[in-house]
Amino acid sequence: MSDSPKSPDPKRFDVSRATLLFDRLMGWVIRFGGIAVILSVFGIFYFVVKEVVPLFHAAEVEAAGEVEAGVEPAVIGVDEWGEMPFFYDGGGKVLFQHMEDGRRIEFDVPGLGDAEVSAFSFDPVESRMALGLADGRVGSFVVNYGREYADPGESKVVPSLEQEPWFALENGAGPVTALSYGASGEARVIVVKRGSGEQASVSVLRLGRKRSLIGKGKLTLIEEVDISPQLEAEPVILRASQNGSVVLIASADGGVLYFLANSSGVSLREKFHPFGDQVPQQMNFLFGGVSAVMTAPDGRQSQWSLFRKTEDGERLFGETKTFPALGEGPVAFAASQRNRTFATGAGRQLSIRHSTSGAVRMEGTIDLDPVATVLDAKGEHFFAADRTGLTKRYAVHDPHPESGWRAFFGKVWYEGGARPIYQWQSTGGSDDFEPKLSLMPLIFGSLKGTAYALLFSIPVALLAAIFSAAFLPLSVKRVVKPVMEIMSSLPSVVLGFLAGLWLAPILETKVPSVMLVLVTGPAAALFTGWLWCRLPIEVRNRFAGGMEWLMVLPFIGLASWAGWCLGPVLESLVFVYKDPASGEAIADFRLWWPQVTGCSFEQRNSLVLGFMMGFAVIPVIFTIAEDALSNVPKSLTAASAALGANRWQVVRTVMLPVASSGIFSALMIGFGRAVGETMIMVMATGNTPVTEWNIFNGMRTLAANIAVELPEASVGSTHYRTLFLGAIVLFAMTFVMNTIAEVLRQRLRDKNKIV
Amino acid sequence: MTDVVPTSEPESRPDFIKVDNFSFYYGRKQALFDIDMDIPEHEVTALIGPSGCGKSTLLRNMNRMNDLIDGVRHEGDIRLNGTSLYDPDVEVISLRKRVGMVFQKYNPFAKSIYENVVFSLRVAGRSNKAELDETVERSLTAAALWDEVKDRLHDSAFGLSGGQQQRLCIARAIANQPEILLMDEPCAALDPLATLKIEELILTLAKSFTIVIVTHNMEQATRCSHRTAFLYMGKLVEFDETRKLFDAPEKPETEAYISGRFS
Repeated sequence: MSDSPKSPDPKRFDVSRATLLFDRLMGWVIRFGGIAVILSVFGIFYFVVKEVVPLFHAAEVEAAGEVEAGVEPAVIGVDEWGEMPFFYDGGGKVLFQHMEDGRRIEFDVPGLGDAEVSAFSFDPVESRMALGLADGRVGSFVVNYGREYADPGESKVVPSLEQEPWFALENGAGPVTALSYGASGEARVIVVKRGSGEQASVSVLRLGRKRSLIGKGKLTLIEEVDISPQLEAEPVILRASQNGSVVLIASADGGVLYFLANSSGVSLREKFHPFGDQVPQQMNFLFGGVSAVMTAPDGRQSQWSLFRKTEDGERLFGETKTFPALGEGPVAFAASQRNRTFATGAGRQLSIRHSTSGAVRMEGTIDLDPVATVLDAKGEHFFAADRTGLTKRYAVHDPHPESGWRAFFGKVWYEGGARPIYQWQSTGGSDDFEPKLSLMPLIFGSLKGTAYALLFSIPVALLAAIFSAAFLPLSVKRVVKPVMEIMSSLPSVVLGFLAGLWLAPILETKVPSVMLVLVTGPAAALFTGWLWCRLPIEVRNRFAGGMEWLMVLPFIGLASWAGWCLGPVLESLVFVYKDPASGEAIADFRLWWPQVTGCSFEQRNSLVLGFMMGFAVIPVIFTIAEDALSNVPKSLTAASAALGANRWQVVRTVMLPVASSGIFSALMIGFGRAVGETMIMVMATGNTPVTEWNIFNGMRTLAANIAVELPEASVGSTHYRTLFLGAIVLFAMTFVMNTIAEVLRQRLRDKNKIV
Repeated sequence: MTDVVPTSEPESRPDFIKVDNFSFYYGRKQALFDIDMDIPEHEVTALIGPSGCGKSTLLRNMNRMNDLIDGVRHEGDIRLNGTSLYDPDVEVISLRKRVGMVFQKYNPFAKSIYENVVFSLRVAGRSNKAELDETVERSLTAAALWDEVKDRLHDSAFGLSGGQQQRLCIARAIANQPEILLMDEPCAALDPLATLKIEELILTLAKSFTIVIVTHNMEQATRCSHRTAFLYMGKLVEFDETRKLFDAPEKPETEAYISGRFS
């Protein structure tokens, strides 16, 4: 075999092992890198979606233990941990019963003595039991729960009762038959009914604390007002609101009376009929005390709020929402003590509802006939007791009751508002504040910010790109293009800073000047161009090769300067504000604009934003569009020039159609930059989530909103998850826009494809 | 193909294009050295020479297409029918309307056949439908393309074959009835059959236009030109009647080039 024909040196066809190894290694590195990038993008997406999904979960309720109280409770209350409910049957004892370890503690009602309780009511928010006695006295006690830490890791709930003063009623006669106690720190009000039928009388007691240097001061009666004369029918339900100023009385003729109790006394403000002449079988205030939920005898349920403004600025009750009707049977109701959720139901029905969004969070049944119900302070446990004293505890899992499609994307009727609106206001100053989580103002803000940014950037960037690609001599272009590219690398926080602290104060007083410059500058350019065409060809040929701009520049500069200086003159001629009070005429655009258009004028507005965003967006659009135009094959531009087309005709007939898809991409990338831009938006726009196109006020964009609020949102809260939802919406917006743009771009490219 | 060398028409102007001591620079690099030549009217003049000899540069100066390049300058003059290209009162746009041009690679626009042909009329602001229709038929007939495309004038120009596209470009160049037609290696991207058609066309067109053609193909020069100029290293070496130049060149460089000793 050795003499068989063989190539003399077969090694010359070999590939070195190192080359092969390196080739394979790089192949794997690139594969790994690519897959890792794809996975991390999906990972981010997964994380964001995971944060958002719980917002759209309904409430979950499951049975979590039961206990036998052994009394027939009329009132049930519970500690904030949901461990040790107490039961009160209207007698002289209060019974505490632990859910797990079976501890039972019985207290005497403090300060009652031998007196007989004839009426009582319980306010779970303040944990206060109001008592009315057969001898015509009213009083109250507060149920306090403490926690005792005995051994390390072990603790137990320790209840106690705190007595409050008794007040003897002066008006009316007979035993107290109904009462309600409303308190918010200083202002307290008690509404009391004595007797029944024809003899019934109703009084409103206003209480207050005497100021004292040490301690809380003594609670004293300020006045007792007999409101019986103002009642036309026998009162059925009395309710005093948690803020201590609103008293609602449902009477037997189906009317509900609204009394306002404040430092100037107690007065009837309004009488309304929520269900015609049907008497509400249930009426309770929601958390915050400005809305009440009422149920008609036939199960219809609706919410009435203080929102209708009268001419003297006072608010009256009006119907704001109707909920799905309840079924047959006695109605149970338990309001949450921290938000606008309430649990209600007829018979064994249990329905958890949220008043702000009007949504039913959960609909189900419980397996006893409740006579007393309560929601614990955290809203995590629902207790229901039947007449035998059997008490069941239900764990309620509803961490995001105020969320839902309607709350995020629909108009919502918030408490106190005159109509349903889109509003974003995620945090507020008081405990009873309800978050307003509509994303619509933010989506609008993103669109508005983008629109104004692009309105300023697109014309400038595209005209500059055309000028640079088709008119400028190469020597100038070599300078212009890198300068534009450096512009795009300016950090947006610097631009935002300049916009907010330097540009905004300048533009604030110079709006007429800016308007004039925007007119005189381009007008000067057009006029110089017109003039130029009328110059003899000998003169024009001296500036051939694209250097004509040297001639135009001084004219534009001069005209812009003139426009800037003439701004105040324009202002004094046109933008004259007439002071309605003194009749004085002031030449000030800032005052004139709101007076004439009814829109506001803010220092940080869309105009400032448009200018500053130009620095961020123009270089992006310019660079890509310029490349697209410059890459139009020379053979086409030369052919068109050789056929006698002038430079503008070459641009219009050949360059623009061929480069259209590239220019389109440039616009889309500019759009993406503008939509996602955060720092300039945060610093230059004032961040007010308004929904109007007014150029002289700002906006709050989705991106800016996330930047501003995410650091303050507690992890896992509704607010936190809503911000992530905002991120998804932002992503969806750009995704949809980019997809549409890409389809259009492909079509443009196919249409103008060059073989 | 047989060598058909037509005789020049007697009434034609002998120095219709006058290149007068013309030098041309791309930046510092000199591309043309003191070219002097008189190109007669209604003849086909071929420019031949090895790559980089400046023949295309010379051609592209005849309608000042080189102005589109940055950093060029020239010395001397070129006159078209008596007027200097570089007169300060020459409008370069109207100059280019007098001089049609056909490029090496066929380059129709992404438009219909019809719109390609009438492009020069459109940019001149003429949009009379009858005039445009008449121009299309005349130009396409002159470019020997009418019969092939008359039923699909409004189809995309890219649907045509390479040879047809080049003839379309010729039709486009002559639509505005220029005086001169410059052709920069018009057959370089075409197959032999299409080349044949174009060459026939060139001879026909010479009756109406003064044609200057740059070619690499010496056969082509002999087949379809009346006169031939041989350029070498930016200098005009020899310029004479085609038959004379190929049969009995005066200069040794010409002799060496046409006999294929260098290219």
